[in-house]
Amino acid sequence: MSKTTTIEPFTAGFVEALSPELILFAGMLLLILVPNLGKGTFRIPGTQTRIPWLLGGTRFKFSSDPRLPAWIASITLGSAFLNVLYVFSQGLDRVLIVSESGKELLLINGFSRIFELIFFGALALAAFSSMNRLQVKGIGSKIPEHELYNNRRQADFYILMVTCALGMSVVALAQDLFVLFIGLELASFSTYVLVAFLKESKVGVESGMKYFIVGSVASGVGLYGLSMLYLWAGSLQFSVLAATFAVSGTTALPLIGIGFVLVGFGFKVSAAPFHFAAPDAYAGAMSPVAGVLATASKAMGMIGLVRMLLIVAAPESSDGSAVWLVCLGAMAAVTMTWGNLAALGSDNPKRMLAYSSVAHAGYMLAALTAVGAWNWDAAVAGDASAAAVAVMTALLFHLVVLVAFKLGAFLVLSILESEGGASRLSSLGGLAKREPLLAVAMFIFMISLAGVPPMAGFLSKLLVIMGIVRVAVGDMGAEISDGGIYALGDMHWVWWLALLMVINSAISVFYYLRVVVVMFFNEPEEGREGPLPRGWQVRVAILACVLTTVLVGVAGDSLIRLCEMAAQSLNYNW
Amino acid sequence: MAGTEVTTTVHSEWMQYAPLIILLPMMAFAVILFLGRVFNGHPFWKKNLKEGGLIALPVMGASLILSLLLISEFLKGYSGVEDIFEKIAWVNTGIWNGGSTTESVSFGFGIYVDHVTVMLLFVASFLCLLINVFSIGYMNTDPINDNRNHRFYAEFVLFCSGMLGMVLADSFLWLFIFWEIMGLCSYLLIGFYYERPSAASAAKKAFLTTRIGDVFLMIGLVMLWDLFGSLDYAVVFDTHNIEMVAESSAGTLQWALGLMFIGAVGKSAQFPLHVWLPDAMEGPTPVSALIHAATMVNAGLYLVARMFPFFGAEALHGDLDDLAFIIAAVGGITAVMAAAIAFVQMDLKKVLAYSTMSQLAYIFTGLGCAMYLANTLDWHHDSDAHYIVIVAFGASLFHLFNHAMAKGMLFMASGSVIHEVHHAHHHLHHDDDHHDDDFDAQSMENMGGLASKMPITATAMLIGSASIMGLPLIGGFWSKEGIIANAWRVAQDDPRFLFPAMCVLLGAAMTGFYMSRMWLKTFAGKPNNEVAAHVGPTNIWIKTPLFILTFVTLSSVLLAGMGFTHWAADTEYSFLSEKNIIDGILYEMGHAFANSDSFFFILTYVAIFLGAIVGPGVAMALYGGKLADGEHAKPWMRPVIRLSAWVNKRFHFDNTAFRESSLATALENRLYIDEYYDKAMLNIVAGFSTKVAEADTEVIDGTIKAIESGSQSLSTFVRSLTTGSARDYILMVAVGTLIISLLIWGVA
Repeated sequence: MSKTTTIEPFTAGFVEALSPELILFAGMLLLILVPNLGKGTFRIPGTQTRIPWLLGGTRFKFSSDPRLPAWIASITLGSAFLNVLYVFSQGLDRVLIVSESGKELLLINGFSRIFELIFFGALALAAFSSMNRLQVKGIGSKIPEHELYNNRRQADFYILMVTCALGMSVVALAQDLFVLFIGLELASFSTYVLVAFLKESKVGVESGMKYFIVGSVASGVGLYGLSMLYLWAGSLQFSVLAATFAVSGTTALPLIGIGFVLVGFGFKVSAAPFHFAAPDAYAGAMSPVAGVLATASKAMGMIGLVRMLLIVAAPESSDGSAVWLVCLGAMAAVTMTWGNLAALGSDNPKRMLAYSSVAHAGYMLAALTAVGAWNWDAAVAGDASAAAVAVMTALLFHLVVLVAFKLGAFLVLSILESEGGASRLSSLGGLAKREPLLAVAMFIFMISLAGVPPMAGFLSKLLVIMGIVRVAVGDMGAEISDGGIYALGDMHWVWWLALLMVINSAISVFYYLRVVVVMFFNEPEEGREGPLPRGWQVRVAILACVLTTVLVGVAGDSLIRLCEMAAQSLNYNW
Repeated sequence: MAGTEVTTTVHSEWMQYAPLIILLPMMAFAVILFLGRVFNGHPFWKKNLKEGGLIALPVMGASLILSLLLISEFLKGYSGVEDIFEKIAWVNTGIWNGGSTTESVSFGFGIYVDHVTVMLLFVASFLCLLINVFSIGYMNTDPINDNRNHRFYAEFVLFCSGMLGMVLADSFLWLFIFWEIMGLCSYLLIGFYYERPSAASAAKKAFLTTRIGDVFLMIGLVMLWDLFGSLDYAVVFDTHNIEMVAESSAGTLQWALGLMFIGAVGKSAQFPLHVWLPDAMEGPTPVSALIHAATMVNAGLYLVARMFPFFGAEALHGDLDDLAFIIAAVGGITAVMAAAIAFVQMDLKKVLAYSTMSQLAYIFTGLGCAMYLANTLDWHHDSDAHYIVIVAFGASLFHLFNHAMAKGMLFMASGSVIHEVHHAHHHLHHDDDHHDDDFDAQSMENMGGLASKMPITATAMLIGSASIMGLPLIGGFWSKEGIIANAWRVAQDDPRFLFPAMCVLLGAAMTGFYMSRMWLKTFAGKPNNEVAAHVGPTNIWIKTPLFILTFVTLSSVLLAGMGFTHWAADTEYSFLSEKNIIDGILYEMGHAFANSDSFFFILTYVAIFLGAIVGPGVAMALYGGKLADGEHAKPWMRPVIRLSAWVNKRFHFDNTAFRESSLATALENRLYIDEYYDKAMLNIVAGFSTKVAEADTEVIDGTIKAIESGSQSLSTFVRSLTTGSARDYILMVAVGTLIISLLIWGVA
């Protein structure tokens, strides 16, 4: 338990505490200014004197480089990432930022830090690897460098990436549902535009539009839930809500309010039945953007769910939380099964990955259900609260490593995409012959997604399943220690979620390995026998993903410890 | 279940680098395979890197150096300590222990070093390096291997990694994992010339035969886990834990160890799972030298030696003597049987293969006897008994060492001969298109009188043979005498052991015969044909390891003097601390040749008489002879050749009657054991398999196909709900919201 420092905005310590976000802000300003630097002049009114003021006019050589915005964004996001990593390595202080009236606004702790790592890492990789592929004619054409988009539109793309990161990190820091909602919408709107960014391509615009419409509806329902909560508690502070819930949580108003908020976040994590727009959006968006949706955006939705969970699972509120958990558990079961079944027959690799990401959302929801199935209160629960921490650790770990192999898989597809589309499984054909290392990387991502040791995906799945079983067994502890007879039925029902997860993992191996079969055993499609499009940036990003996947899988100890720290910092009592 | 107490871990300076001994070759495997694929046929890759041979070489060198540092540290500082080990955790987790709490469990890999490890670690890393050198001279000069040697070197280093890993592992589980890696590499390397049907089927045979043993080994390990709740050496060898197990289930423990021993029988090619080893000679000669003589076949012995703490445990006193007898008896049978088959082999490498089986059997007998002694004597309190047990165990380990060195050398020397005979043949007949069809470069029919043409090879072969035969003062003599003496010592206590004791004594004479026969037929006498007359000297890569190993074999007397049998077997004796080396040698000499106990005094001379006079004498009478005119052997080989010529002239007798007897035919057919196995397989196993295959296609495949098509159509249905219209999506969101509201409404 570390001491909490409370500060007000713009007082001492504020800059240090929010340095990653401030870096993003500075990067955003640079992205607006730098590409506009030029030989523009300003005529003093009434005179003929022109003063050079460097904005507008003919651009300088460096500021007209089409890759400049991508570099700025990559460096901004990368340095924010490194900043968080550095702070983390220096040990952690809890910093609470409060408004003048004493309301808690933002809290920096291990939990928020780990999510910042996820967001910045994923977006930095995505920005870096799209450096060479934003093209005039949309998806599919190989064109030389000088025809890359004029850099003003390039700048738009990367500004959106940075604002997306900013919104997400606000969600991670928020201590107030309203602040959280603002961050959520900032990030959401950025992603809507990013999905539809290639307005020249029909699918892009269509899927962006659908994503936007369905997303707005979900947000609207969520906002309605928020208003109900405000009506009930008179505040949107997490701490106030939790305390109020513990006292009068079983009334209809807060429960339905929370249920509606669940819809809003359910859309973000693409839980069934709110996931329908996701496959369309992933398939229509550019692959790196789809990768961001599947990793960072999902993690953001997960934060919302965790916050809700902490409200309802606060001490002494077992009745209310039980209902809520049934919702969550049912959602988890439906989501993972639905995702896997749909992915089974999908011929479009991007849709397949989208459905697989729905399935992964189901796994994470199952973990979340297990967390809620146990009382968070350390004083009451003893060993079993350690079990809840273990599940939470597993959940965070899963979110972190997902960035490596899910985004990595999308990046591999992005190379194929810039060659002429990756909308059919056969477009991966013969990849092993065309670029063996890329095929091996994809192979590693696939078996990691399927959860094969020694990849990171195996470890995360193992931790989640083990954690759920531990919670379920811990629930049975009383019967066992009394020496009574125990049976499967005595265990908490979350046990069945673990079983369902195992069955679903078995199903999922089929479609992941089908990709491998196509890459290694099928011949390339006609006209795609030649070498793949070049570009070292995306390959470096893929390499980073591969290394993370393998290294974390083999020696994930320190990362697990980091996640454990983050999980513990969540509890109000720690 | 026994508790999981963990003994103290001693850290040492080089211990932390020990995993590199295993990891370096394992990484080299990937590197060589990858580079080999990429640069296949590139001149730099072929000429300068020897298709990966020169990548493997420094790696194996590094492994050897790290091993030596570890060993020297162990011998210097830690020989008084029970063992040193270090664990690297991979996953730390908890398992449900049946109560309401969880027990923390750590899955990881650990390094465990004790006296047995140290000896075999040296043998393995040293021979891996030398055979790597040899391979460069052998594999890269034969055009048939061009552009695929990278496969050889990759599999070679992976094998080395497996062997070193098995030796260093800290639990029976990891031992088993590395054991299987070796099995895989053995399969791949025997089948290196997979285009030849004989090689492909030999690889299959080796794999399947050892697999039979492995299944039993696995069952044994599961039983052991059940008894101890762990397979870590630190847990299973813990005196306290053994006591707890001994109280309730000593019989079960004996079964577990017995099943594990079957695994060792398969790996070390003992009767009745010996059939794979002679066929395995289809692999390239370096493979035979490395896997099937010097390292992998020792894995079985290592496994049995690892079981020693059980046999030596006070709590299990007298409980495991039946198993000790079985180990010794299997050794005894194999020793005689393999030696008898070796009598009639014409193939140079097959003689060595059977010799390997026979010598390994000696070591099994020795281990069995040592285990019997440890299990029945009160050696924890009686210092005389302690000495007897330790020396008996040490003698077996010493024979393992001597045999590995000598047999590795013999195989390399035989490889050198085969290589040169092949070249000579090629050279003579290079105009002839069909020359390879009926010429067998491995047959001793095509050799003879090579002593003058290949002096280093002939010397190495001579010293190696002498070591295997146990000629006084050379190599294996010291350890073999120890094994025979201990077998008879045990036979005095327990009449059952008369059988293995007789076997090893008889085996000594037989070894003398077949080894001498092999040397004489290859190197003495006149060349048998034109090819043998044109054999030339061999290249430097091949000579170097032969040269080194000749000296190692000769210096075995120094090792004996240093008390090898003591410190290799027990930690209480430290390296060189007892006496200085001269005293040690004198002591061993006195012990061997002038034993104060009259029984052992006579036994020693009987063994020497049988092994060094009767066996070689008969061989000389049959196969001895002078070199061709004008050919001169090196001075140290001349007396041997002259003696053989003299014996041949004086005592030559006609052995046609024996050669045409049914016994000889039976031996040539390997006592028909392979045929019986084939028949049994065809009738029982194959018949059963056909039925199972039918059931498989119809029931299991049918079910799976049904599941597959069912889930595909389900998938189509599920995906059809994703209509592509935003209106429908919103509808679904509304439905979801409604369901959630209703659920909550129902409760609230």
